[in-house]
Amino acid sequence: MAKAVGEAVLRAGNPGRSGHALSIRSARDLFVARERLAELFGRADSSRFVFTENATVALNQAIKGVLRPGDHVVTTSVEHNSVMRPLRRMEEAGVRVTVVPAGGDGVTAARDLIAAFRKATRLVVMAHASNVSGALQPVDAVIAAARRRGILTLIDAAQTAGSMPIDLSSLPVDLLAASGHKGLLGPQGTGFLFVREGVPIVPLIEGGTGSRSESDRQPEFFPDALESGTPNSVGAAGLAVSLAWILRKGVGTIRRGEVALVDLLLRGLSKIPGVTVYGPEDPLLRGSAVSFRVEGMDPAETGVRLEKRSGVLVRAGLHCSPNGHRALGTFPAGTVRVSPGPFTTRAEIATFLSALRKIRNPSA
Amino acid sequence: MTRAAEPVLILIFRGTHQVLSAEKRLKGGGVPLRLIPVPRRLTSDCGLAIRIPLDRRDRAREILSGARLLPVSAHIPREGGEYDPVSL
Repeated sequence: MAKAVGEAVLRAGNPGRSGHALSIRSARDLFVARERLAELFGRADSSRFVFTENATVALNQAIKGVLRPGDHVVTTSVEHNSVMRPLRRMEEAGVRVTVVPAGGDGVTAARDLIAAFRKATRLVVMAHASNVSGALQPVDAVIAAARRRGILTLIDAAQTAGSMPIDLSSLPVDLLAASGHKGLLGPQGTGFLFVREGVPIVPLIEGGTGSRSESDRQPEFFPDALESGTPNSVGAAGLAVSLAWILRKGVGTIRRGEVALVDLLLRGLSKIPGVTVYGPEDPLLRGSAVSFRVEGMDPAETGVRLEKRSGVLVRAGLHCSPNGHRALGTFPAGTVRVSPGPFTTRAEIATFLSALRKIRNPSA
Repeated sequence: MTRAAEPVLILIFRGTHQVLSAEKRLKGGGVPLRLIPVPRRLTSDCGLAIRIPLDRRDRAREILSGARLLPVSAHIPREGGEYDPVSL
């Protein structure tokens, strides 16, 4: 992946703006990455996968491109700020927001979300898995119910894209956002928004697309409708390589591997006195993120000690999700989060658990 | 590949993504082609067009209509740098 990015930097042309060789190669980098995204998520038409800088931009595009004053939106109390902040902004513009509380395990009940639907409900926004507790949310049931009511659905798949199978030919979600640098193993600065055919959406950003240049109005066809300005073809070149790896390996295989590691982690953590783990106990009911706290120790301190002692890098604090932590009762100090990926080994999990046991002793 | 002397057809698409999608499908269907800069006389766009041998027109139409990727226009070059608009 890194090699592909390096090579793409050295031959980057502006895709779609010229007919010369470098411009065409960069356009192909975007095209190949887009085609692989479509293959990974089970769609024939890759034009509906719009590249963004990250999941945050994709979520902003979806939320601000769909909601209008007077609309009502339903969401969960475990959302990342990349959902909550745009929703709060839209609230100021006259959109009404209902935040449905999750249970103590970080899971929001489908029936509670469905009960919050109103006549004016335009959109349901929810994480596929919480980035704090790892808890999987009941997206299938909510999407099915929303669809019956003519309500649009937006899934934040930042925690699950590439690590859990998502088939957009059988999951009738309208909009799905994800970053490229997490489970999709691509470089930072990549992400995408999937927009199902027929979903009305207004661009967040307008500008040059290389197409319809005779007109000063934004094209309505995809992906150009939502992709303006020089795109990150260098990032796409890297993402295309990581997507090829994921397609060869199979998301099902990756998921099974991560479930086994999360199981190992959960069982190991449960045996360390003074450690509290948050989220569902069953690894099958979670993504790969595992949040915990060491009794009497600031999560930031735990993180520093883990790095110093064993080189294990974790994220401590609120994980950009104050609501997610309020739902778990871990606000404002937050938690320590570890997230095994497809390259994590059982030995590394053992190293982490051993380091955690040792740092519990303050004199260590 | 197409020699300049052979009659050719130039296909114009809505955007770069559609050009590359059409290229992938035409190649997959055995239609020889070349990506070329869009001739300025045809559109003001700054992108790409596809050039195919004129005698592969029927096969190209079959592939592209099946993929819902029909070009916005098709043109046959004439002497003197002019183009005749045609249907694919």
